[in-house]
Formats: sequence, structure tokens, C-alpha cells
Amino acid sequence: MLTAPVLNYSLLAPILVVLGGALLGVLVEAFLSKAVRPAAQLAIALGTLVLSFAQIIRVRNLTSLTAAVNSVTIDGAGVFIQGTILVLAFIALLLIADQDNFAAQASAVPGSEEERSAIATGKIQTEIFPLTLFAVAGMMLFPLASDLITLFVALEVLSLPLYLMAGLSRRRRLLSQEAALKYFLLGAYSSAFFLFGAAFLYGFSGSLSLNGIAAAITGGQGNDVFLLIGIAFLSVGLLFKVGAVPFHSWTPDVYQGAPTPITAFMAACTKVAAFGATLRIFYVGLSAAQWEWKPIITVVAILTMAVGAIAAIAQRDVKRALAFSSIAHAGFLLTGVLALNKSGLSASLFYIVAYGFTTIGAFGIVTLVRDSAGEVTDLNRWIGLGKKSPFISGMFVLFLLSFAGIPLTSGFIGKFSLFNAAYETGNITVVVVGVLASAVAAFFYLRIVVMLFFTEPTNDSVTVVIPSIMTRFAITFCALVTVVLGVYPSLLLNTTQTFANFLK
Amino acid sequence: MNPYVPILVIGAIGFGFAAISVVAAAITGPKRYNRAKSDAYECGIEPSPQAAGGGRFPVKYFLTAMLFIVFDIEIVFLYPWAVTFDKLGLFGLVEMMIFILTVFIAYAYVWRRGGLEWD
Amino acid sequence: MDISNYLYLSALLFTIGAVGVVVRRNAIVVFMCIELMLNAANLAFVTFSRINGNLDGQVASFFTMVVAACEVVVGLAIIVTIYRSRRSASVDDASLLKR
Repeated sequence: MLTAPVLNYSLLAPILVVLGGALLGVLVEAFLSKAVRPAAQLAIALGTLVLSFAQIIRVRNLTSLTAAVNSVTIDGAGVFIQGTILVLAFIALLLIADQDNFAAQASAVPGSEEERSAIATGKIQTEIFPLTLFAVAGMMLFPLASDLITLFVALEVLSLPLYLMAGLSRRRRLLSQEAALKYFLLGAYSSAFFLFGAAFLYGFSGSLSLNGIAAAITGGQGNDVFLLIGIAFLSVGLLFKVGAVPFHSWTPDVYQGAPTPITAFMAACTKVAAFGATLRIFYVGLSAAQWEWKPIITVVAILTMAVGAIAAIAQRDVKRALAFSSIAHAGFLLTGVLALNKSGLSASLFYIVAYGFTTIGAFGIVTLVRDSAGEVTDLNRWIGLGKKSPFISGMFVLFLLSFAGIPLTSGFIGKFSLFNAAYETGNITVVVVGVLASAVAAFFYLRIVVMLFFTEPTNDSVTVVIPSIMTRFAITFCALVTVVLGVYPSLLLNTTQTFANFLK
Repeated sequence: MNPYVPILVIGAIGFGFAAISVVAAAITGPKRYNRAKSDAYECGIEPSPQAAGGGRFPVKYFLTAMLFIVFDIEIVFLYPWAVTFDKLGLFGLVEMMIFILTVFIAYAYVWRRGGLEWD
Repeated sequence: MDISNYLYLSALLFTIGAVGVVVRRNAIVVFMCIELMLNAANLAFVTFSRINGNLDGQVASFFTMVVAACEVVVGLAIIVTIYRSRRSASVDDASLLKR
């Protein structure tokens, strides 16, 4: 007998508000005149995120398995990750609001008369804002989703706008379009793996929900071949999204080609959302089968940390270097997945926050270093930048030190608590590799510091532009979070410990 | 009532509509003859010897086809709703109205931004 | 007929798609291979729905179809813009970014 399902709109409000804001943005794009569009879109986007965050505050202590029948679970870790995504998206949006970075008309052929006239007349497409909001809505749903369909739909809702956004750079458009194509083809490829794995997990358990799958694993009646195929293929899809080795090859290309504010958004928010979902799938759905997947994920984590740290050294481009650093961080976060206990989850939550703010800050600074043709990302041309603009370079060094995990930065506390959690559960190998990878990475970061501050400048055409008030706020805020979390980690550690639980 | 009666009624209405349209068009419509009129299809590509533009479809066809696919596939959700309409009651109605509203917002965007214009 | 034959077919289709993505060079063909993989997953969902005796798998296939259609649109949009700027849809030509 079929009965009408019950949706708990109050608990779903944070996501619904963002989706509503995105639809409003689409309407604004359709009906408002060109002159008022940019301001209206920015106001709607920022307002939506603030409103949604207010809803998060309201539901922060509520938990429910049945907010949308069995498809969405509201619990501590989920709400914490949602809040993190919102704040990070807000900061990233301030960078995105600097319209100068985006193609005036995405459909015009690069270098054509149509494009020149579009720029000259100030005809600017502002679709970037609704697209961002749609992506944010998908990201907020992804870590809460507790059945396989919702996971897949949320994954696509967050990915599809990002594919388009990656291709919208105003300068070096061919590069940007190429990044979009690569991101799209590889992303769709991995989604197909995810879906195939989901089908086999459903075949194994006869249920789409994570709890149903967990019960089937414990019950032990299902066909184990289906379970193994399901776990393997589902993991490929997830590991691709978080950028883990050997599914990382898209990361440097896409991070380099995409407009830098989008790279910041992608690197921070997508990774937070993807890890939120990964943590939930492995902690809630597959923890009973941990002997099947733990060895593989351990190898992946070790490879990811090692490859990310070592490959970063060889890079000549700032954005590619930061991309490899983000791969290494995905490896560190995977050790949190392997821990499978409360302290591992709490450490992962802290690490996600620390990593997110540092990443946005670092990419924010990349947007400021320019010459007449646009952003300069060649590391050799950054030599001696510290002499020309010590303040901005100093902040960049701060972010690098946090990436490296030097004490008194948020990165140190994050790494320390993650490795501690992994050590508690006896994953000594992972901890040793993690520490070694950190040392290698620290060497790379220190090399950049030397380049910036202790080498004479050779090229004078590179300058640091004066940031707009929004960019300035975004970068300063990120720097502040990095320092405060390094000096007073208990501010956030207490919160993550309170929120570190998945409702099963 | 025999469950097949509604199907018969739908069939009769469909046939009637088609017949009336043909007859009404023949009586009321203006009659002009030119080359396009005698083609197999009044719009679209030349069927022979090959499509315009060296056998390739112009990009415009892709754009229109893409829009068609998206709006067409949304209908997939209407079928299950139609089957369970009575059981879902008001809840189903409200949710589907919201769903259709969002589709219309997308449609309004496409229309206003010139996605439906051929040239 | 043995119902597991559908699973073999699904696995076969998925493999053809997965191999096709790796070996083919035209972006549109690569893209079609990805669609083949999604449809293979759909076939698996429907088969398992039959095996497990519940409708969840069929519902999943509905959602997959819609999501696949949206993916088609986004993908074609990207490929069309690339084609317009380069007059080529080969994935090998798109190699400005370092490997």
C-alpha cells in the first residue's frame, strides 16, 4: 500500500533556501535589465548563503533519519559540513564577484569580433552566480544523502555547474575550455563508475539506503561478489571526486585551466562535500565490511600523500603546484576515513575547515599577481615578489606554512589530530608515510618562500594589483582563520568533537 | 464501468481532433504553392542529395535538440505521478506543481535569452 | 531464460563503454561511450530490481535517465564551444595543458 511521503521542510530548509536562491537568480538573469543584473545577482547569492546559514544555526542540534523519508539524514557531522560549505562558498563568492575574471560571453568564439564587442559594451553574463548556488546546493545535499539515488543526484547537481564554470575564464580561453572538456569527460566517466557500483550495492542488499546496505552486510545473506564489485566501483567514483591517486590526473589540468576564483571554490568546497559523503558512506554504509576495503584505501591514501607531495616539487606553475598540494591533502584526509572512529571523524572535520580556508586564501592571492596579459602563474616570474609587496607575499607564505603543517597554523593542528587518530587505530604505516610526505611537502613550500623573499627580482612587469574590497576581505579572513585555528585550536576542536557523529 | 471505456474515449477524441484539424485547415487556410511546400518536410534539412553545409548538421540543430531533450525527459516524472495520483493526493499535487514551476523557470530563461530563436 | 544473463550483458556494455572512453579520440564518441556505461548501470538496476523483488531499482533508473539527459546537454554545450573555437572535436587536439 502506498502512502504519501512526508517531507520535513524545516529540516531541509538550508538546502531548499539555496535552491530557491538559485532559481531566483535564473529569473533575474531572464527578466532584469543588463545594468542592474550584476549587483542584483551578487546580492541574491550572498543573501541566500547568509539565510541558509541562519537555517543551519537553527537546526544545528536537531537530528533525524527521516527528514525526506530515508533519503536524507540530518546529524551532527552532516550539519557541520553543510555550515562549512556555506562559509567557504561565501568567501569564494567574494572572489568570484570580481567579474574581471570571467568571459563576457561564453558562447562567443575566442578572439572574435563578437567577443571584443561584448567586452567593450560591458555586456557581461552573470550566470556564474546561479551556477555557483546550484553547485552549493548539490554540495550541501551530498554529505547528507543516505541513499544511493540521492547520492548520485547530488553528485551530479554539484558537478554539472562546475564543468561549465571551469570553462568561463576571460583570459586564456582555449586553456579554460580545454579544462572544462577534460573535467567533464573524466567527471562523467567517474560518475558512471559510481552509478555502476551503486547498482551492484543495490543488487547485493536489495536496498538503496546506506543503513539497508549496512544491515545486509551484517546479516551476511547477500552475494559477496556483488558487494565487492559495488564497493570497488563506488570507491572509484568517490576517489575521483576527492582527487586521490590514481584518479587524480584531472586535478592539475582543471585547476590550472579554470578561472582562479572558480579553482578556489572547487578546491575548497568540492573537496569538503566529497569528503563529507565519503566519510558517511564508509562510516555508515560500509563500516561492517571494513576488512574488504581498508587495505585498498590504505594503499590509495599512501600513494596519494606521496605522489601529491613529490609531484608538487617538479611544478613550474603556481596553480599546478597548489593542485598537487591539494592532492596530497586528499591523502591526509583519507587517513581520517581509515580511522573509522569518533576521533578520526572529529579530526577530519577540523582538517576540512583548516584546509578549506587556507586553499581559498592561497588561490585568492594568485588572482592578484598579474602583468598586462592577466594573471601570472609561472613560478619563475614570482621570484622576488616579497620585495615588491611584502604584505601579500607574507600572507601567501602564511598559507604555504599552513599547508606544510608548521606549528602555530591551522594546518599543523589538523595534521596532528588526524595522524593521532590514525595512530590510535594502529595505522602506523599510514602515519609514517604521512609524516614523510609532510616533510617533502615542507621542502617544496620553503623553496617558494626562499623564491619570494630571498631572491633578487629579475622581471619587473609582474605586479600585485590592488585588491578590491571584497577580495581583500576574503583573503584577510582566510589568513585570520588560519592563524586563529593554529593558536587557539580548542575554539573549533570542541565544536568538531560535539558534532562528530553520524546517525545510523 | 469497463476500464477500457476511457481509452476508447481518448482514442475517439484524438481521432476527432486530427480529422477536424485537417478539414478545418483545408477550408480556412490560405493556399500558396512554392518549392518548400512540396518538400517532404516543410522545415529542417534538405533530405537529398545531402544536408546543407557539406553533409553536417549546423550547430543550431544541436542546440535545439539539447533543449528538446531536457524538457522532454522531465515528463518521465509525470508518469509515476499520474499512476499514483489518487494515493498521493494533495501532497503529490503540490510537489508536482513545484516541480513543473521550476521547469517553467528554466523555460522562461531559455525564451528570454533567445535560445528558441532560429537566427 | 536465466536472469543473470542480463547482468552479464550489463557488465559487457559497461566494459565496452569504459574501454571506448580510453581508446576513442573524438569527444562526441567518448561521450557516447560514457552514455553506454550509464545505460549499462541502468540495466543492472532494473535487473536487480527484478531479482530483489522490489521497485527501488526501477525508480533509480528513472533518475539516472534524467540525470544522463542533463549531462548530455552540459557535455554537448562544452563540446560545441570547443568545436567553434578550434574546428575540431578530437580530444588529442585539446592538449594545451601539460600532461
